[in-house]
Amino acid sequence: MMDATVTQPEITAQAAPAKSSRQLVLWIVLVLMAAALPWLFYDFHTGRHSGFLLTMLSQMGMMIIFSLSYNMLMGQSGLLSFGHAVFFGLGGYSTIHFLNAAEKGGLPVPMELMPVLAGLSGLGFGIVFGYMAAKQRATAFAMITMGIGELIATAAIMFHHFFGGEGGVSANRMIDQSLFGLSYSSSVQVYYLILVWTVIAGLGMLFLTRTPLGAMANATRDNFERAQFMGYDPRRVRFLQFALSGMFAGIGGGLYAITYEIVTFDAVAGALSANAVLMTYIGGATIFYGPILGASLITLLQSGLSLLSNAWLIYVGVLFISMVTFAPTGLAGIIEAHGPIARAGRLRLLIVPYLRMSVPGLALLLGFIGLVELLSFLTIGQAQGKSLVLFGNKIDIKATMPWLITFVLLVVGTVWLRFEIRGFARLWDDVTADLKQRSV
Amino acid sequence: MAEAALSLRDVRKSFGPTEIIRGVELDVVRGERHAIIGPNGAGKTTLFNLISGRFPITSGSISLNGERIDTLEPQQINRMGLSRSFQITSIFHRMTVFENIRCALLWSRGYKYSFWSPLWAQKNLNQHAERLLDELNLLSRRNLQAGLLSYAEQRALEIGITIAGGATVILLDEPTAGMSHSETEYAVAMIQRVTEGKTLVMVEHDMRVVFGLADTISVVVYGQVIASGKPEEIRANRAVQEAYLGALTE
Repeated sequence: MMDATVTQPEITAQAAPAKSSRQLVLWIVLVLMAAALPWLFYDFHTGRHSGFLLTMLSQMGMMIIFSLSYNMLMGQSGLLSFGHAVFFGLGGYSTIHFLNAAEKGGLPVPMELMPVLAGLSGLGFGIVFGYMAAKQRATAFAMITMGIGELIATAAIMFHHFFGGEGGVSANRMIDQSLFGLSYSSSVQVYYLILVWTVIAGLGMLFLTRTPLGAMANATRDNFERAQFMGYDPRRVRFLQFALSGMFAGIGGGLYAITYEIVTFDAVAGALSANAVLMTYIGGATIFYGPILGASLITLLQSGLSLLSNAWLIYVGVLFISMVTFAPTGLAGIIEAHGPIARAGRLRLLIVPYLRMSVPGLALLLGFIGLVELLSFLTIGQAQGKSLVLFGNKIDIKATMPWLITFVLLVVGTVWLRFEIRGFARLWDDVTADLKQRSV
Repeated sequence: MAEAALSLRDVRKSFGPTEIIRGVELDVVRGERHAIIGPNGAGKTTLFNLISGRFPITSGSISLNGERIDTLEPQQINRMGLSRSFQITSIFHRMTVFENIRCALLWSRGYKYSFWSPLWAQKNLNQHAERLLDELNLLSRRNLQAGLLSYAEQRALEIGITIAGGATVILLDEPTAGMSHSETEYAVAMIQRVTEGKTLVMVEHDMRVVFGLADTISVVVYGQVIASGKPEEIRANRAVQEAYLGALTE
């Protein structure tokens, strides 16, 4: 017993750098993959990149910045904002005006540094609105941010000079100002600009978590009163965190403006603010890289699933509710929970149980998808004159059989899964209890 | 008489129509260990909340080293050298033990709201935090989430956070509440060690702790200080015996 307590700190001290250097390698590999991906889908016959892939990857980059910046509030400071799109959108609108000014020769800033201006715009708006919101916390804070979101969304339609009304404002990104002589006429050049800025912004936000402000943001999240009795004003901590978060969201919005060359009120609207919550929560707010996973997954679903199904938003919604209910620490939380088990070499104990759960899980999923699609084709699909095609067969949505199969899958899947989950929960408790025993 | 580190003059506090603190007069001499005792509901913790700025006072005045503090906010009072602990453990439960202590050091070391100094590179700060953990006997728990510590360890961390910032006046609210006999002895020794040379004011129910640790005892009953003096004087005081100590021996 004595031995164990004496040697344990040494083990963790050695394991920690090994773990973080492995993680570093993993992230470098991921960034390199992101850089290589457009060339894997390069069409040598036409000499073109896949437009679909580039659009999706570009969108991912912006959304990663956006949701990481959102998590500076939600995960790191415990502040639930319902108006984060304001900073993304205003960064975007500003950037459109910067681009227009640059095209007229009035703003000698190279394209590569436009996101800096976008970030400064976001910071400016973050300071203004942070002054209003950061005095409060908890519910009052959430309500104020919601109000700010609605305010700006309305303003975006009303005030034409800055926002351009319903049609938005547009610009031409070929401003012929570049540090590297690039024209940014092709979307692959824009994609690399986004990739570089995603890495810069991501590293910037990671750095912030390891500064006194970042530490005190966590502290005020856990116990704002205690932070006060240590000399810190929690309002000031919230304000700074809010303003800086606005800055990074602004960078994301700037990249959005550069990519699409048009910004409309969608970019400040409530739906995008809700998306920030969704991406961050699904990815996992408690761990720094969680929002990266969430933003990637949601963008993937948005791009891929929306082509396949009218009802894709329903799936995202159900995914969100399931995560809130069953995995409140998000995808990253699930991954992290497996870390100690993997390090103890126990991961293979879980393989068979996971496979066993996946069978009824899949049945439940198929049943649910079937039900949603049948219903959707009964209404919207029919109105659009589409028909449901599965494995090359046209399905008659008015027949009994498809409905019956769907229903059986749903019911059997649910009952069976509940049974499997109970067994799995027991095993999981055993494994984690065993690990705890060993570490004490 | 030596200069008072803390002095309260006719401090009153009402919650709605009820007056909880009814004209408290209290002087805490610099460098002494001052215990505040009294029956449940006498207003001891409320008194701490008023001194530390958690609640505003209704009337009267509170001075720290001769300066009025009764209109200031908790963080301002803390920066002037007063720190407090809580009866119900108040730590950052999702952060590690090390991070808890390090946060408590930040302000006094002048980091303020810095978002440009990387914490990992602050050698002195990190060493200071390690040293404190060692003093608190929490070094082996360094990387554990504070919420997962045992009760006694959380109490030790609570005291560690309170003293870390280098405050000269320390208020401890029932530091040994809920501890076993041996844990209490251990905690008292630790409190003695870490508050060396500082002014200590503590609310305490355990009479062994009070009479073992305190230089001066003040008795609060029904929102007023009815007696203040050396332990032996308090023990001999009739009013105290009737109002409080007597009730205990019945």
